[in-house]
Amino acid sequence: MNNIILKIYNATKSYNGTKAVNGVSMNFSKGKITSIIGPNRAGKTTLFNLINGFLKLNDGKIYYNGERIDHFPAWKIARLGIGRIFQDIRVFNKITALENVLLANKDQPGENPIVSLFLRKKTLGKESVNIEDAKKWLKFVNLSDKEDSLAENLSYGQQKLLSISRLLAGGYDLLLLDEPTAGVHPSLAKTILHVIKNMVEEGKTAVVIEHDMKIIAEISDFVYFMHEGKVTFSGTPETVLKNSKVKEAYIGV
Amino acid sequence: MNYILHILIMINIYLILSLSLNLIVGYTGLLSIAHAAFYGIGAYITTLLMMNMGLNFFIALFITIPVVMLVSLLVSFPSLRLKGDYFVLATIAFQVIVFSILYNWISLTRGPYGIPGINRPVLLGFKFDSLPSYFFLSLFFVIIVGLLFKLLYKSPFGRVLKAIREDEISAKAMGKNVDSLKIWSCLIGCGIASISGALYAGYVTYIDPTSFTLMESVFILSIVLVGGSGNFRGPIIGTIFMVILPEILRFLGLPDSIAPNVRQMIYGALLIILMKYRPQGLAGEYRFE
Repeated sequence: MNNIILKIYNATKSYNGTKAVNGVSMNFSKGKITSIIGPNRAGKTTLFNLINGFLKLNDGKIYYNGERIDHFPAWKIARLGIGRIFQDIRVFNKITALENVLLANKDQPGENPIVSLFLRKKTLGKESVNIEDAKKWLKFVNLSDKEDSLAENLSYGQQKLLSISRLLAGGYDLLLLDEPTAGVHPSLAKTILHVIKNMVEEGKTAVVIEHDMKIIAEISDFVYFMHEGKVTFSGTPETVLKNSKVKEAYIGV
Repeated sequence: MNYILHILIMINIYLILSLSLNLIVGYTGLLSIAHAAFYGIGAYITTLLMMNMGLNFFIALFITIPVVMLVSLLVSFPSLRLKGDYFVLATIAFQVIVFSILYNWISLTRGPYGIPGINRPVLLGFKFDSLPSYFFLSLFFVIIVGLLFKLLYKSPFGRVLKAIREDEISAKAMGKNVDSLKIWSCLIGCGIASISGALYAGYVTYIDPTSFTLMESVFILSIVLVGGSGNFRGPIIGTIFMVILPEILRFLGLPDSIAPNVRQMIYGALLIILMKYRPQGLAGEYRFE
């Protein structure tokens, strides 16, 4: 079973006595797009926070590439290769778009002040390589003309694209995508989905939280349906979307 | 002429304080009201090393900087857990504690009596005794410190600090070790502040705790906020403006009995006006919201 990149076993997390995530076990296959669906407050975003280390499990285990990661701090988990985009985007507002992407690059030892001061040649050398790389990713999402704009001056859709180019520049293997197309123009949503599919074709793995049934059917290889902190159903998109429990939860009783 | 040189020396001392505080406040986004504590600890340690152990000013300073860096951990550790206003309160607490120690540890610091008769710095037999020579000495330190911060602000280190200021969660999700970067920022910012302390002690040749109070911390912070934080020129403009302003008020011919109060009122009014109409300061990039 070495095509499983991320394995969640019996994950449990409670807030003030209510179990937001309750005994969830999931497997994510390498090179696939797995969707997590479910009504609001089903525990989907909490699950993402557990995977990337923002929250600590009350019980259970999380393995990434066979290594147990649930006790690691968030920055270390990111360095292992798990990248994330947020539902509320979270770009660095008062920093230019180019710097936003540069920051995503994990290969800049000059982020340590001692290296920055005393190994200037190394830092500057890396910097020029990284700038080329960052420009490439901005071009990839059609933001080349916004390089020097502060992120806060970009439109909502452009900020979304910026967060995706940061994800690309980060060189992650596993991508946690929290509603990547929510709130954007349909044509932009199409572009974003196209980018996601491209990344997965290049060997990356994606986990997507999504509400739009059409999108789920279009992109997913496998779907988990969560309800009240538990996985209540899973399978291929066709079987999950036909399931009566899923329909009930989405359309409402 | 001597009067102008005196003001220029004070500008140099405050430039080092504001540039170093800018790294912590304007770049890392940690609103610290404890900078005068580090300024004071720097002044006292350098002085005590010179007076009690007979060390040369420059050697004493060389020892003082790493010691103050270690002390800065007392402020940077709370910053890892406390957010926003709570961190501000923690720094105020630290500032008050440092003042109390300087004031009450009489066997070491002579408390409220202060330490008089500090020697002027001597380098290779040359004593920085005259005002012009002391001006050039302080200018030398300003240039070194200015270059240091110019490099750091523009470096990938400065950029990642800005990212922490903008969004700590996003920075962590990108693999930035936010805790260690905050500690670095405080180490450097506070360590450099101690240079100002040493320069002040060597210049005035007398120190007592009242130079390093909470009000002094507020003054240094207002330099950074008035000038503007998050870039290189903001603290420089702020320092020149805030150090010269009281000197200009001196020429208004206010009676001595009310002059200090009027000065405080003008500072207060200035901060309120800036907050309302120009929250990024005179020349800053970053605004506190």
